[in-house]
Amino acid sequence: MNLKSTLCTTALLAATATAANAQSGDWSLAEAAAPYAGTTVDVVFLLRPGYEAIQEMLPAFTEETGINVNIVTHPYENALGEQVRDFVAGGDLDIALIDLVWIGNFAENEWIVPIDEIMEAHPELVDPALNMDDFFPLVLNAFGGWNDVIYGLPFDNYSGLMFYNRCMLEEAGFDGPPETWQELMDIYGPALTGDGQYAFALQSKRNETQSADSFARMLWPFGGSFLNEEFRSNLLSAESQTGLNFRQDLMQYMPDGIVAWDHAETVNAFAQGEVAMITEWSAFYSSVVDPETSRVADCVAIAPEPAGPAGRRPALGGFSLAVASQADEAEQAAAWLFIQWATSAANAVEYLERGGVPARQSAYADPSLTETYAFIPALVESWQEGVPEFRPRFAEWPEISEVVQEWGTRMMLGEVSVEEGATEIGTRMEAILESAGYYSGDKPLAQ
Amino acid sequence: MRGRTSQKTIFAFIGPSVIALALIGIAPLLYAAWTSLHFFNLTRLRQLRFVGLENYQTVLTDSAFWQAMARTFFLLGTSLPLQLALGLGIALVLHQPGLTLVKTLCRLSLVLPMATTYAVVGLLGQVMFNQNFGVINQLLGGADINWIGDPTNAFVMIVFWDVWQWTPFVALVLLAGLTMVPGEVEEAARLETKSWWTILRYVQLPFLVPGLVAVLILRTADTLKLFDMVFTLTRGGPGASTEFISLMIQRVGFRAFDQGLASAQAIILLIITIVLAQIYIRVFYKEV
Repeated sequence: MNLKSTLCTTALLAATATAANAQSGDWSLAEAAAPYAGTTVDVVFLLRPGYEAIQEMLPAFTEETGINVNIVTHPYENALGEQVRDFVAGGDLDIALIDLVWIGNFAENEWIVPIDEIMEAHPELVDPALNMDDFFPLVLNAFGGWNDVIYGLPFDNYSGLMFYNRCMLEEAGFDGPPETWQELMDIYGPALTGDGQYAFALQSKRNETQSADSFARMLWPFGGSFLNEEFRSNLLSAESQTGLNFRQDLMQYMPDGIVAWDHAETVNAFAQGEVAMITEWSAFYSSVVDPETSRVADCVAIAPEPAGPAGRRPALGGFSLAVASQADEAEQAAAWLFIQWATSAANAVEYLERGGVPARQSAYADPSLTETYAFIPALVESWQEGVPEFRPRFAEWPEISEVVQEWGTRMMLGEVSVEEGATEIGTRMEAILESAGYYSGDKPLAQ
Repeated sequence: MRGRTSQKTIFAFIGPSVIALALIGIAPLLYAAWTSLHFFNLTRLRQLRFVGLENYQTVLTDSAFWQAMARTFFLLGTSLPLQLALGLGIALVLHQPGLTLVKTLCRLSLVLPMATTYAVVGLLGQVMFNQNFGVINQLLGGADINWIGDPTNAFVMIVFWDVWQWTPFVALVLLAGLTMVPGEVEEAARLETKSWWTILRYVQLPFLVPGLVAVLILRTADTLKLFDMVFTLTRGGPGASTEFISLMIQRVGFRAFDQGLASAQAIILLIITIVLAQIYIRVFYKEV
């Protein structure tokens, strides 16, 4: 079964259930939740704007349903470990918060329940307005789907965007941002670097930032990738090498010590006017346009990430929410109602206004929103062109990511050449995949 | 019978400690030893199986493990002598007669670095050593030193913070040793010679040896398990320049979730620590 047919099946099930509920007349969240009033569901949240937004909206949900949502907040770096330990130990979590690169791990270990199963078990709980087709297909598939099964609904959604300082660019004689990475290197780089200012900053700290925001960002637009079709390393291919060498060359237009820069340093340098352009997640929009935290708030403009020879392949990241299989029946039902509510089209605009980024296409239909949220057109465009396997989403990614983080930074520091670093990553990556059983046929070649 | 203590009394006194030690220290150690003999990955529990010494073989033949170990010992070899030299100097100054109030205030202030949480030290370091906004570069006359993003500078920064945080501990332990020197012996020695080195070497040092050995053992163990400060400050980077052995074990065990391999690494580290402690005791404690 391919993705299209999977989405169709899930959509069909949703449509059947929603039609039944719609026909029965007045489906309401309060009535659907009545048997589960007083139930408490546990979920891990992150310290990010999208989570604060839903927390602000949460009292309305609890008041309407009587369902309590117990939120345990962790920084991103701890969220995976906390959840893995909870699921392994049969703990309290009733909802899984899934980064798109964790979905293979969670699904293969059966820690999460496919949406189809939930809808079959509880058709009376399916919101008639669920409308799975309203989610951006790329986002639904990448964040919530694994091996042709949909497990989670997209909740906290990002795309890589180019944030640029319009004033700095205009002063240098540019009337817009670079369309391609090559333009950025050849034209914008020399013109915007000097006197303590830099054309570009690519956050590359040795954590997921190095592997996702720096390394992968330079592979895909140049036609490269982590793996080829046989699941062998593709990092020594001409395209991958071109991309990685490009990153190395581009460092001349970046601040010193970029290998130690995380999101905070990068966004801050942009907000202080030291860097003309950055490629960052859409979620950082609110902080760079806030005059209290940004000296360039009036100059901020947004564009899609530049294109490479293989086209525009922006960074893709985000989280879905899925029902945990370890939860009991009442908790699963309550969790499903919460997930539908948190990701619903009805709440999407309010979620956006409070700092979240919904994955509902309908939420962006109102053109007036673009005036307030300048990132919307670029975001919508990016979600048409991204690749779900921007970072492979299988269970082994955290292990491989650690390898990429180490050798990716060593490459940037010049401790090893690009080719040596790529060889080292490739060898170690293949060893991990072999041990997992991909080459013996024990596991399907899904990423 | 007077003078003899019953078995029950002995057990009542030491039993709780032994039970607590068994629960907190020995049981996890035995579990780690068991884990190290298995393929035990939290995300692949279905593949859990006995693998004998395979994990140990992997660790012992892994160049990254030995590089991290070498890096850790290099840190120990640079920061510990600095801590000992500075700590001894501070202890000798505070041991001088007079200025009681000032010395009391100094002793109190020595506790502050030790009382600071390791992770907070790392976070402070991130701010203070920031290339553009950090106070350190400002104090160096607006220097443009890339502390965190340069492999050598990042290592120097870790040494700096370790010395800052733990020199006071060394000073206080050695000061305690100096107070054990009988006043009349020290006074007689001062009448015999004006050489401070002679007094230190032949009168004070014998009283400092137990403290020095304790410092060597504790600081070696602490350095081998140094984690929080480095994790929050550099996370082992840039590259692998500050990836010390404890960071590597955490990475394998809790980011790659390979508990078996991480346990084998931890057991090997434990063995190295025990061997070092024995060497310290045999070499330093007996010879002086």
